[in-house]
Amino acid sequence: MAFTAPYTYIQCPCSSDPPELDPGEQAAQDAIESDDEYTFDPRAPRANYSLYPLEYLLYCEECQEIRCPKCVNEEIVTYFCPNCLFEVPSSNLRSEGNRCTRSCFQCPVCTSPVQAGEIPNEPDPTLLGADNNPAAHVSYALFCQYCNWSSSEIGIEFDRPSGIPAQLAKVKNGGEPKITAKDLKERRKENPDEPPIADNLVDTELQFANLKSFFQNQLSDSTGVLGNLSLADGAGFSSPAALSRIMTLYTAGRGQPGRQRGPPDTMREAHSTDDGLRIAKLDESAEVKKLFRGGWDETVSREQTLAQLEPARFQDELRPTQCTLRTKRSKRCAVCRHIISKPENKVASTRFKIRLVAKNYIPSISIRPLKPTASGILVGLRPNVQIEKPLKPLQPCQYIVTFTNPLFESIKVTLATPNSTPGRFSSRVTLLCPEFEVDANTDMWDDALRDDGDLKRRDDSNGQAEAGKIYERGRNWVSVVLEVIPPSLRVENLDLTAKPGEAVDKSPLKEDEDILEIPMFVRIEWEAEAQHDITGTAGRDKDAREKRELAYWCVLGVGQISHE
Amino acid sequence: MSRRQAKGDYIETDSGNKVSRKAMLQGTQNIMLGGKAVIQPEVMIRGDLVRTAPSSSSSGGPANSTAVAIGRYCFLARGALLRPPGRIYKGTFTYMPLRMGDHVFVGQSTVVQAATVGNYVHIGRDCTIGEFAIIKDCVRILDGTIVPPHMVIPSFSIVAGQPARLIGELPEGGSLEDFELRDLYKSVGNNPQPPPP
Amino acid sequence: MSSSSKRQSIAPSSGPKPPVNFSSSLTIPKDASLTGHHSITILAETVIHPRARIDSAQGSVLIGRRCVIQERAQLGAAPGDRTSLSSTGGITLGDYVIVEAGATIEPGGTEVSEGTFVQVGSTIGRGAKVGKNCTITPKSVVRPGEVLPDNTVVFSNGQRRTDRRRVIDVRKVALLKQINVTRKMIRSDPDKFR
Repeated sequence: MAFTAPYTYIQCPCSSDPPELDPGEQAAQDAIESDDEYTFDPRAPRANYSLYPLEYLLYCEECQEIRCPKCVNEEIVTYFCPNCLFEVPSSNLRSEGNRCTRSCFQCPVCTSPVQAGEIPNEPDPTLLGADNNPAAHVSYALFCQYCNWSSSEIGIEFDRPSGIPAQLAKVKNGGEPKITAKDLKERRKENPDEPPIADNLVDTELQFANLKSFFQNQLSDSTGVLGNLSLADGAGFSSPAALSRIMTLYTAGRGQPGRQRGPPDTMREAHSTDDGLRIAKLDESAEVKKLFRGGWDETVSREQTLAQLEPARFQDELRPTQCTLRTKRSKRCAVCRHIISKPENKVASTRFKIRLVAKNYIPSISIRPLKPTASGILVGLRPNVQIEKPLKPLQPCQYIVTFTNPLFESIKVTLATPNSTPGRFSSRVTLLCPEFEVDANTDMWDDALRDDGDLKRRDDSNGQAEAGKIYERGRNWVSVVLEVIPPSLRVENLDLTAKPGEAVDKSPLKEDEDILEIPMFVRIEWEAEAQHDITGTAGRDKDAREKRELAYWCVLGVGQISHE
Repeated sequence: MSRRQAKGDYIETDSGNKVSRKAMLQGTQNIMLGGKAVIQPEVMIRGDLVRTAPSSSSSGGPANSTAVAIGRYCFLARGALLRPPGRIYKGTFTYMPLRMGDHVFVGQSTVVQAATVGNYVHIGRDCTIGEFAIIKDCVRILDGTIVPPHMVIPSFSIVAGQPARLIGELPEGGSLEDFELRDLYKSVGNNPQPPPP
Repeated sequence: MSSSSKRQSIAPSSGPKPPVNFSSSLTIPKDASLTGHHSITILAETVIHPRARIDSAQGSVLIGRRCVIQERAQLGAAPGDRTSLSSTGGITLGDYVIVEAGATIEPGGTEVSEGTFVQVGSTIGRGAKVGKNCTITPKSVVRPGEVLPDNTVVFSNGQRRTDRRRVIDVRKVALLKQINVTRKMIRSDPDKFR
């Protein structure tokens, strides 16, 4: 994978929490965990999916910890259609499913939105008559705006441009009306002796409706108690717990107290299409003939058929699908159940009611080379980012790492990196200044108004890379220098660096082994106002300051090592 | 429009717009720049394709016909093209105005024919936004995307592909400052300041 | 459109003026660029947008009636392109063809038949023959020498399908309306090229 720009990924502490162990094992595990030599290895399989850029991380104020997308629980605030941006109340979801019911359709061929448009009707030249008004009957169809598919290709046309879902539900591909469950009922009423309809006329919706009504009848027949209650399709009950609670009320009240609600004793099987049984059609000679006639272009691709409600094989079996709904979700800390992110209910608003993001609590880290090898970019081509040349092996390179403090208090940062990066080809890393303080994120005006005599801390920033001193300091940020010596990527040289007696892996360079990544342990300490409990205010000072600290691993992706 | 004495690459207007001398703006009286906008060389904006309002306008003339309206801190990178979309409305063909919000970044060589673009939108390079597309706030469109006509892209989406499909959602942590183009604005112009570290 | 760092001249090139054959109802602004030494023929009611580039160095260019060539469209060789100067033919566009912004039609016997829409950023390779009423969606590529049957839609990373709508006449009527409106907005200056 090509290396784009230097990056910083942070590891959420939730991935390094050990799993639950029984006491015997726990003691042994503790012994291992307390080993100070533990280094985070970004290439280890355990580190998969535990590294996130700062934007993806949230912060729980109660637990005072970082939360990543893996350790938050999501709850849905609103459902809306991505096409018409219409909010759908969650009660409608149960009855109408998770798709938009307002004429938002997707082209079955290319998934772009379709629009209802008029089909131009050529005036019938055989019509006699004085009035040459050709606008007798206007039909509408759905037209895809990208691939020019139209619903005329599957033979579906409409009388009105609005209310498409209702019109579509009644029509099969080819223009014939669909047989719905209601139609069947009508027929039953008129003609009770009519045999059940043929298998090939039953589509999935009809089959499901028949099956559902069949089982409802079975259940109501065998367990008389449930006769007046419909099958647990959730209608009217807010949760399965409520349903079972009401069920026990009924069973407890009417004899057989305490009897478990098992499945009904006898239920007959479905016999015919009326009961929802549809026998598969095994003779596919008609489809094979169609395949010969149409060729490859007539068949449906895998993505296209997966998007369909009924499996389709040929292009004329495709139907436009309704847009699935999207959601606005709120996030909750998995540990203390406090809400850490909550968007506004309205779809059009992009604001948040609650938004506790890590960016406002932990420093942002960025990295750039001290001496950029890439030339500057022409003003006209900005904001392109110039890609640095690959690093030369065995030559020291210096990088500036900048920490920006978002808190309103000054923080003390302690950094630690292993001497050599983990992995087969390890680079030597030296931090020139592992401990420093970053000023608080005060407003610019405060800074200007403060007296200029407070410059004592400015002395140590001299813009030069010296051990023990920071490189540069600003209002709320500090830059330090990091020196790295990349290794040679030649597999033959691995023998030189291997410890005696160790087996050396001489396989060729694997993917991404030439990207230099430095794991760094960051510890931040700051003083904040103590969180007062409601009870203990009597004996406390007003200015109680509590020392807080936060520690996490992060990975600095520096650059690519050249393959010399 | 005041000009600096030194002849730089950019013309900087009173409201802080930085327009390159090599940009091709047609029909400038119908183009509204919101202020602090950056228009790089070879950008083309078709302000001449203006809405031909029916003769029911009260002031009896094309009084306030805007073809292209751009918000504050927008950045139109080199070679971009903004073109108002047109369609047949009530039997006649007419162009509709193209409205862009604030802090919109349009990548190189991208063609935008949308109806509206919201705030804080980042459009990559070599994209094509079809006619009458509606792009809401806080959207990221990756490089090379083709947004088909009439598509609606809701907020916080990341779309890519031909035709454009939703491939991800923007994290909440990515605050609006990431989209903010103030620093970019300062780094371009006759006295460019280097981008911040 | 190439993103080379070499700046392409934005002013109409000062090369030799090609012999032109304009219809009287043509709309062509003065900052369109016509270059080359073969003839350029443009028929009735066509609209050329500003900054369109027509180059006939490798063959004559014929544009049919009621066409639209939008801005930055490139008919003919790009200014920096010097491959195969053997003029095996130019470009022929039928009636009712739209060439949208940034599209490229390479010379060399290329034909685009009537009613075809070549949309934003597409490329028609040299010698390709595009049928009638096709739609080339944005950024598609028709390979050199390829023959597209009538009513083809090229979309989505090179897929092809046949367009079975019956809206051909509607498209032409809509294009005519668009032309009539756009003609009034562009100031035409054909004498500059004669």
